[in-house]
Amino acid sequence: MTLWEFLSDRLGRIALWLVCAGVAALFLWATGTQPGVLVILSLALLLVFAAAGLSDFLRQRARLQELEDILEGLDQKYLFTECVPPPKNLYERRLFDLTRRAGRAMTGAVSDARASQREYREYVERWVHEIKAPITAARLICRELDGPAHRRLTGELVRIEEHVERALFYARAESPEQDCLLRQIDLGKVAAQAVENHRSLLIQSGIRVEMDGLDHAVYTDEKWAVFILGQLLQNAARYRGEAPVITISAAPLGKQVRLTVSDNGIGIPAHELPRVFDRGFTGSNGRSRGGSTGMGLYLCGKLSRFLDLGLEIASEEGKRTTVTLTFPTKENLTKL
Amino acid sequence: MRKIMIIEDDPAIREELALLLENEGYTPVALTRFTDVPAQAARENPDLILLDIGLPGKDGFSLCAGLRRAVPAPVIFVTSRDAGVDEARALSLGGDDYITKPYSVPVLLARIKAVLRRCSGEPEPSDILDAGALRLSLTKGTVSAGGRAVELTRNELQILACLMAHAGQIVSRADLIDALWDNQIYIDDNTLSVNMTRLRGKLAGIGLADAIKTRRGMGYQL
Repeated sequence: MTLWEFLSDRLGRIALWLVCAGVAALFLWATGTQPGVLVILSLALLLVFAAAGLSDFLRQRARLQELEDILEGLDQKYLFTECVPPPKNLYERRLFDLTRRAGRAMTGAVSDARASQREYREYVERWVHEIKAPITAARLICRELDGPAHRRLTGELVRIEEHVERALFYARAESPEQDCLLRQIDLGKVAAQAVENHRSLLIQSGIRVEMDGLDHAVYTDEKWAVFILGQLLQNAARYRGEAPVITISAAPLGKQVRLTVSDNGIGIPAHELPRVFDRGFTGSNGRSRGGSTGMGLYLCGKLSRFLDLGLEIASEEGKRTTVTLTFPTKENLTKL
Repeated sequence: MRKIMIIEDDPAIREELALLLENEGYTPVALTRFTDVPAQAARENPDLILLDIGLPGKDGFSLCAGLRRAVPAPVIFVTSRDAGVDEARALSLGGDDYITKPYSVPVLLARIKAVLRRCSGEPEPSDILDAGALRLSLTKGTVSAGGRAVELTRNELQILACLMAHAGQIVSRADLIDALWDNQIYIDDNTLSVNMTRLRGKLAGIGLADAIKTRRGMGYQL
């Protein structure tokens, strides 16, 4: 709060005071008070009011600054009124009381929302675990079929699993710290697991996967790394071109390790690239082919941020898409 | 015959799994009551236990310790819980392996075989394959016939190994690709054709030009 703001807030009061002082001076002058006395009287009054005004200004400014500081230092800003020393003046106290009541209603609403979000997440996780039992049974039953029917049905079951897996990771990404287990893992193992998980999709898409230089150790959560890589493989398979090849390679970059997944697929238009990690963004490719949910890369982005992974995408339409994952060094992991 | 105990509460999975293991030449024992599991295990004395984690009453984690005391058999956890923490916990409790549902059947069977082999101290499977006049050495990566030998690439080696393991039978291209992917060779149909041509060329070089027959529309046969 500047002095000017303070004064402009009180313009009416100051004008009233000036008019009153003028009328009083006029009255005193008409009743025969000497002009010298009038000047001294006016100056003295002006001094008293100016001093009172200045003191008000300084006190209010200090008080506001104190409140600003408290808010600034708060992690959960909506708990502000719970952390502020109650004011002494009656009017301010009443205002404070009102905001505090509003704040409490807000806190209640926030904790209700949190609780229901947590319950929903727990439900999704339980549901995912339950749905896996019939999928497992279906896979086992599938084995009794022969040839193409067996392969096709297994392929469809795998698609169901992919959707189920995304739902599970979507629920987990809301509070990722609960499931995170950061440790040293081998990139080759992660890549092999991701390929294995999406094997039937990749084989059916006629894809060749090449792996190169994956004998690096990285510090991250294995399940999530496999999930992220799996999403990239699914995209590469879905948006493949002629004679599709996926290359998974890794190279050290200083102390970090960069994992690159590149394909020779249909690519992504340049103007859509900045939005591919947005939630629900399907792009022209997704729209023209259907079956795209716009969730895969969104989840990759979200989990990567949590895992301190660098995630970049580059593409040339009609030619290739390259996704680069940069794994942090052990020392740089903030959440270990 | 190896006896495998299935501790799984989902009846559909339990029955199908028992059927699968029976077809694979094991003797499955499926528990239907989940009280006093260690005592039941001690009575049956299985060679391997497949243990689900999400059981009614006592869960798999708490059962594991009791099972380990009751029988010497190795334990494979089979579960739909796939958080990394669960896996770490299962292995620290004395589980020998951890498989998440839904598993693919070949993966499950391979894991069972590996654990059984590891725990009974059986020697690794021989690295020499014989079929007809052919002799394949997996570690050396060579195939020989009639005193002549030729070196094979990794891809050719696995293709031939797969055909030799099913000598006399027709192996479809899809099955061949599957077998190659099992060995981390992620090739497509065209690459398979190229590798097959080269393999035939090499076999012709040691005097076995027509060893691999093409069965039109069905696959290959050694």
